[in-house]
Amino acid sequence: MKKLLSIVALSLCSMVSAQAAVVLIGAPGASDISASDAKKLFLGKGSSSAVPFELDEGNATRSEFHDKVTSKSDAQLKAYWSKQVFTGKGNPPATVSSAAAMKSTIASTPNAIGYIDEADLDDTVKVILKP
Amino acid sequence: MMNTRFNTALKALPIAVSVALVSGQVFAADETNEQKIAKLEQQVKTLQNQQTANLTERFNFNGFMSGAYITADNNSGYLGSSTSADFSEESKLGFQAIFAITDNTQAVMQLMMKGENDWDVEAEWAYVSHRFESGVQLRGGKLRVPLFMYSDYLDVGYAQPFARPPEEVYGAVPFTTYTGGDVSYALEFDDSTLTVQAFGGESEESGIDIKNILGANLTWTDETWTLRAVYGQSTLDGTTSRSVAIPSQDPNTGLPIFIDASVPLLTLNNEKATFTGVGASYDNGQFLAVTEWTRVEVDGQYTDSDSGYITLGYRINAFTPYVTAAYYESQDDDQRPVVGESSALIAALFNGQRTSYSGGLRWDALDNLAVKFDVTYATDFGDTSGGFQSNVLQKYDNVTVYTVKFDVVF
Repeated sequence: MKKLLSIVALSLCSMVSAQAAVVLIGAPGASDISASDAKKLFLGKGSSSAVPFELDEGNATRSEFHDKVTSKSDAQLKAYWSKQVFTGKGNPPATVSSAAAMKSTIASTPNAIGYIDEADLDDTVKVILKP
Repeated sequence: MMNTRFNTALKALPIAVSVALVSGQVFAADETNEQKIAKLEQQVKTLQNQQTANLTERFNFNGFMSGAYITADNNSGYLGSSTSADFSEESKLGFQAIFAITDNTQAVMQLMMKGENDWDVEAEWAYVSHRFESGVQLRGGKLRVPLFMYSDYLDVGYAQPFARPPEEVYGAVPFTTYTGGDVSYALEFDDSTLTVQAFGGESEESGIDIKNILGANLTWTDETWTLRAVYGQSTLDGTTSRSVAIPSQDPNTGLPIFIDASVPLLTLNNEKATFTGVGASYDNGQFLAVTEWTRVEVDGQYTDSDSGYITLGYRINAFTPYVTAAYYESQDDDQRPVVGESSALIAALFNGQRTSYSGGLRWDALDNLAVKFDVTYATDFGDTSGGFQSNVLQKYDNVTVYTVKFDVVF
């Protein structure tokens, strides 16, 4: 019975983690930001001092983040940045390859913000927006 | 009995506790060290990345390339096409270097090599820009004339949904760059941006000085909807020559050939030219619609024209089928009365009208590579050449152009 319960509990846990949502994170001292500020930051607009970081192209969390925050599909985002780049208006944010790399980059870079899956959260970073 | 059991239990307890503690400690220590190492490794990586970034962050190199195959069912000359296959008309290679002079000042240089210009290297963009703390941005140097929605990235096919921006609209203004400056300011609202841009300078095209360029445009976007309006004016000075392909016969083989003749036609004496344009686009990630309408007016006999287009597209995974309808029509044909030979040539060259219909498919084959297929049918030339210089003497009254093209960014 106990075994069964723990199996159920475990599978529930894994289901929860599989469904965990993308969250925007900053250094532990960072303050919350609004959804529209996040959208501007990740599209290279506005004049905030925050430094955005992206996960690599093709990452599912990246697609989920942009679906929720900038409303751009992967293809649209690629086309958007090629427009910005070739008109000298700006370059896409730097990318990191994993949630672990995202967390340590944010913990060690002043004003950095990024996004990870909620399941990868720990106390080295702080959630600043749940889109 | 009880005591003994208790004693045994009591003796066993510290062992159990110590075992638990030790294994716990060992386990905890292991975990911490591993975590520490992982963290340190990650920090080193991050620092290394930052260091490399510091070295390279001042320079940014990018490029784009297009390769196109174009052919048509006749030699009217629409889009530079002919019945023989053409691989160079719309093929191009571009390199861009951005150098950050300071955080707010940068130098941008874009070098282009185009097949239609025999792959000569030419700078399309070469400017220095500075952003003030207030958000106002100043640019000076060689810039794109920002008349159309796709003006800024006219040669970056990858950033456009269609094989090419519709020629009816984009071909109505023969110059695309100017030397001068612009000032722009972006007003950020909660969910949208309004950009105001004013520009001024001069240019030159085919022996015509395009002086005193002055204009402004307004663009509002929430990244789904984009609305745009532009006005520009300049004075034109110089003599326009038009090249005419005269049908002839090869003296040796007797086969039909064309002789290109350059004919001086109109002399423009500081004539005023104005450009008005409006545009709108909608793109929700799946459905896409773009429309532009423009009016060009030039004092004197030079063509005044209206043009417009609408494109609709729909993304299905990596495929974006699209359709476009476009028109171009000269508006001042009555100012070019035919009274003799030269006025007949002027009327034939400067009067023009046509409607075109395109069907195409963009296929995002790779991450940074799009392949495009396009069939464009142009018709309704009326009694004009359709607006193609090369059709003045041939008088085709419609043409179909087939395009296969790839666009890459890197």
